[in-house]
Amino acid sequence: MNPFWSMSTGSVRKRSDAEEKTLSGELRTSPLRASAKKQLPSIPKNAVPITKPASPATSSQSTNGTHASYGPFYLEYSLLAEFTLVVKQKLPGVYVQPSYRSALMWFGVIFIRHGLYQDGVFKFTVYIPDNYPDGDCPRLVFDLPVFHPLVDPLSGELDVKRAFAKWRRNHNHIWQVLMYARRVFYKIDTTSPLNPEAAVLYEKDVQLFKSKVVDSVKLCSSHLFDQPKIEDPYAIIFSPWNPAIHDEAREKMLTQKKKPEDQHCKSMHVSGLSWVKPGSVQPFSKEEKTMPT
Amino acid sequence: QVEQLKLYEMLISQARQPLLRHKSVLTPLLRLLSVCAEPASAPLENSLVLLLNQLCVSVAREPAILELFFHSHTDQGPANLIIFSLLIPFIHHEGARGQQARDALLLIMAMSASNRAVAQSITDNSYFCPVLATGLSALYSSLPRKIEVRGDDWHFLRREDWIGVSSLVLFMNSLEFCNAVIQVAHPLVQKQLVDYVHNGFLVPVMGPALHKTSVEEMIASTAYLDLFLRSVSETALLKTFLRFVLLHRHDNTTILDTLVGRINSNSRLCMVSLSLFRTLLSLNCEDVMLQLVLRYLLPCSHVMLSQKRAVRDLDIYGKTAAKFLSLIPRCCRPESPPPSRDRDEEPPARTRGMPLPGADVPPAPKPSTPSRLSFFMRQASAAPAEAATPRSPGPPAGSPPWPGPRDEVAELDRNYLEYLRDARHSIDRCAWACRVWSAPYDGEDPRAPGPTPDPDSPPGRPLGPPTPRTKKRGLPEEGVREAQGGPLGGDEPSAGGAGPDPRDGGTLVNGAHGAAEPGQPEGDVVVKKVRRSPQGEGEGGGGAPNGAPQARPPGWEPLPSVDSLLEELLARVPAEPPGAGVSIETFTEELREIEAEMQNGATPTEPPEPPLSHEEEEAFASFAALPEGDAGTGRAPPRPPDPLAQVVASPPRAVGPPPSQPFTGGHRGTGRVPAACRALPDPAVSPGPFVSVLFGKLENMPHNSLYVNFLLTGLVAQLACYPQPLLRSFLLNTNMVFQPSVKSLLQVLGSVKNKIESFAASQEDFPALLFKAKKYLIARGRLDWTEGPGAAPALRRPDTLARSRKPSLGELLLRHANSPTRARHAAQLALQGLRDGGLHPLAPPARHGEALRVRNAVYCAVIFSEFLKELAAIAQAHAVTSPFLTE
Repeated sequence: MNPFWSMSTGSVRKRSDAEEKTLSGELRTSPLRASAKKQLPSIPKNAVPITKPASPATSSQSTNGTHASYGPFYLEYSLLAEFTLVVKQKLPGVYVQPSYRSALMWFGVIFIRHGLYQDGVFKFTVYIPDNYPDGDCPRLVFDLPVFHPLVDPLSGELDVKRAFAKWRRNHNHIWQVLMYARRVFYKIDTTSPLNPEAAVLYEKDVQLFKSKVVDSVKLCSSHLFDQPKIEDPYAIIFSPWNPAIHDEAREKMLTQKKKPEDQHCKSMHVSGLSWVKPGSVQPFSKEEKTMPT
Repeated sequence: QVEQLKLYEMLISQARQPLLRHKSVLTPLLRLLSVCAEPASAPLENSLVLLLNQLCVSVAREPAILELFFHSHTDQGPANLIIFSLLIPFIHHEGARGQQARDALLLIMAMSASNRAVAQSITDNSYFCPVLATGLSALYSSLPRKIEVRGDDWHFLRREDWIGVSSLVLFMNSLEFCNAVIQVAHPLVQKQLVDYVHNGFLVPVMGPALHKTSVEEMIASTAYLDLFLRSVSETALLKTFLRFVLLHRHDNTTILDTLVGRINSNSRLCMVSLSLFRTLLSLNCEDVMLQLVLRYLLPCSHVMLSQKRAVRDLDIYGKTAAKFLSLIPRCCRPESPPPSRDRDEEPPARTRGMPLPGADVPPAPKPSTPSRLSFFMRQASAAPAEAATPRSPGPPAGSPPWPGPRDEVAELDRNYLEYLRDARHSIDRCAWACRVWSAPYDGEDPRAPGPTPDPDSPPGRPLGPPTPRTKKRGLPEEGVREAQGGPLGGDEPSAGGAGPDPRDGGTLVNGAHGAAEPGQPEGDVVVKKVRRSPQGEGEGGGGAPNGAPQARPPGWEPLPSVDSLLEELLARVPAEPPGAGVSIETFTEELREIEAEMQNGATPTEPPEPPLSHEEEEAFASFAALPEGDAGTGRAPPRPPDPLAQVVASPPRAVGPPPSQPFTGGHRGTGRVPAACRALPDPAVSPGPFVSVLFGKLENMPHNSLYVNFLLTGLVAQLACYPQPLLRSFLLNTNMVFQPSVKSLLQVLGSVKNKIESFAASQEDFPALLFKAKKYLIARGRLDWTEGPGAAPALRRPDTLARSRKPSLGELLLRHANSPTRARHAAQLALQGLRDGGLHPLAPPARHGEALRVRNAVYCAVIFSEFLKELAAIAQAHAVTSPFLTE
């Protein structure tokens, strides 16, 4: 356990810090995480879009332009919705962040807290096919090839397909891929492995397998502070613990935990009203009737 | 006397030391005051009030003095707060005197908050509360019976409307005073005052006033009520008003029902009523929503049984949005596609494919979401940095018929992002506000009241009578929907344009289900819906993930987190020597134990879990891929391959998930469903009078006036922003199959679309008229915007003034609705060069009837299209609402 690093990304990612705290202190994560205001990453305004030279517009289908022009919104919003679902899942130790350049690429990191891969911190990238949700299942590639039967020793890609042979819209969601990615470190599956060596060792010589895993975990940790593999403003970056920055951040989060109400939505000081007794469907049932009507 | 009063007033206000402490000052003062209790002349009253005010200020500064007043015995009787009783008669006075008296009283009220004796003396020994409350009644009776109307768009009282009407100013002063008293006073006083307001003003005066027979009086009283509701900020007072509106029965109907019914009336009364409901909805009050809508949806009898679980479904692929957008009448679609860039981006991105970021591939792959670019572009177009993102390849090139103004009108075709942004904001706000509600209204909680279901009856009993019934009803429904929705809905784009253009299909593939697969019957969509489990419920799970050694036993139900158990278990382990870790053997063994434990605990009656349990690692079993053909062998109910069969089969299937459904589950078990259902009173299968009236009005959109349509669509949009699954699914889940007697929003909108299209076909100059209408509305709106936010009404609850239609034309126009000069000015501006059209609302009514009809229909076409965009945006925004807002 090395508590002296922290993680930051280009944008505000409070959860990351919460996670960091969790690791060092073994606090319960959920309240922290629940209280931290989690915003979907905003789309930076000052960004200059990478524009392709506008090809001569082939406006052949002029009449259904209205409909077609909304198409992109669906994709963007579907992915936003997927991301929201991930947030709702609160997968322990799994964090993702859509990249700045594309909603189809998500950066992530997974913290393994128990078992063979304990203390493992594995960064990864999720690639969502651009014909989502009607395409194949997303791919998940670890930045460093973890020693694991289901992780390709060269590319670092996790065998996701075996769990999602066919990606079904409405039924399959990206959080499931992330959950699967977490699960493989707790339940080792050796059938038809991408890394046969790991599979065989696991079956035949668990001790050696374990030591290899430990090495692999160490290797990953030693590269934790490396520059992100993919340059992106939203890439997940780890940096050594710096009290000047991180102490304050931690303080802020802890106070936020106490008063989530205040911190939550300063812009939204609206409060609804309710006099309905829980479980009742009668208006003004919360109190005894005080006056005859 | 006057001189004496003045002298004392001067003494007290000028004195640097607290004089009142000294008996030599106080005693003669009190004697003087007690003499003044008799009615007196105006100058005397002025001086008296001034002195009393001054006294109160001193007392407030030094509460100890209060005791002296309190215990001094005067002619007025013992323990009677003479200052106070002297002030009461002035409560409702106008002008400075009244204001001073009220200020002074307020000081005393504030003192009562911390001094129970004072509070008690106010409630027990004074007429303060009754005078205050019944004074409202008196003042109300002098209000104008008829509101002088300044424009055909007037629909609610704004500050500048009433500030010039002295009787209304008087009333509002007193009402605000009530509000202030309730804010500061002791609970005893608070409660007494609230009771008196209810029984002394609302019931005897407001009730009858709302039920006057003349339309003018109805309009006035409704507008007054709306104004009052907007002006009251104290929860206790607001509660009394709401209780009056929701529960009080006048002539055996609740005020609420009466008001709902008035939406149906003609123009002005309808607008005023809509305006009142806008105020009510903006309160985000559970009780209001319960009475208006939710209680009718609670039994879930408006949906097919099989659909009950879909209530909570979120439409994450934008299908609903696509449906709404597809209802934009063909005649209202832009001549040419909006800036083509976003569409141009699409095909390359699609074909580009993604390089494999393998070990040997440098970190290069940067797939781009095509839409993200369009996001930037659109955002930029809202910002000043417009030059950076030229919309050069846009429509101007392709659309010559309109010269200059074309651009800004075309802007309307591109404002979808603004709708999205706004929808997001409104929903977030609403969700945040509703967190104080008692229940989520998700179809499970709270349970519907009514005929007591037998929750214990065995759920396994095969469906007897219900099946045929639902079948019979279900199938025609499909037919109807297809017939109605089909032509206007799904396959619209291909019918309207280039047909099966693959690119088009590609663009739509992410959500426009209907458009992408035009030929598919709606039934298919339904099937998918049915098949989809509300996440985490583990429906359709069954079987083990392919190749996983530890197969989940069938019947596995997600239960409170394995993870937490796991963590708990393992938390104990670190006691072992560090480094040893948990051996894999023990780990797997423990895991098995846990599994066994979980399985034993898994009761089939487990109600659908809160989102948290999704994290459940074992839910994995429910989504992991199954070998083809394995699907049926799992624990999950068999899945017929044929979509149609699925539809038919779905009702019985719903039996599978055991009595998590309070109603249906119970009834079904005993086979009493049909009887029970039929026995239910009519409201049980209708979405309630409020929604019915709104839908009826919506259906009539082409004939409504422009302003009615603004308010109406704004209200529906407001309703659609509520995050409660019951309401959300009712309005926005276009895949829901309703009982045949229940009309869906989509059906209503579909019929409006047809009406507009047939009107457009009959009106040869429709495009020109449409253009002028847009132009006019934009000009009017723009002018108003320049007035800036300073022009906003300074009401007490500015936050509740839902400006739900801000980016749309509606609010822009309505915001200056009451300022005749501005409106006229705007109209003139807009009319320059457009006079010929005869479209403009202030134009002299030539050929009145016909012109009006045409005008309404053309405006309706504009508003309708914008409304659909707004609804689509709301539907999309629901899927991305932050879960932290509701937790």
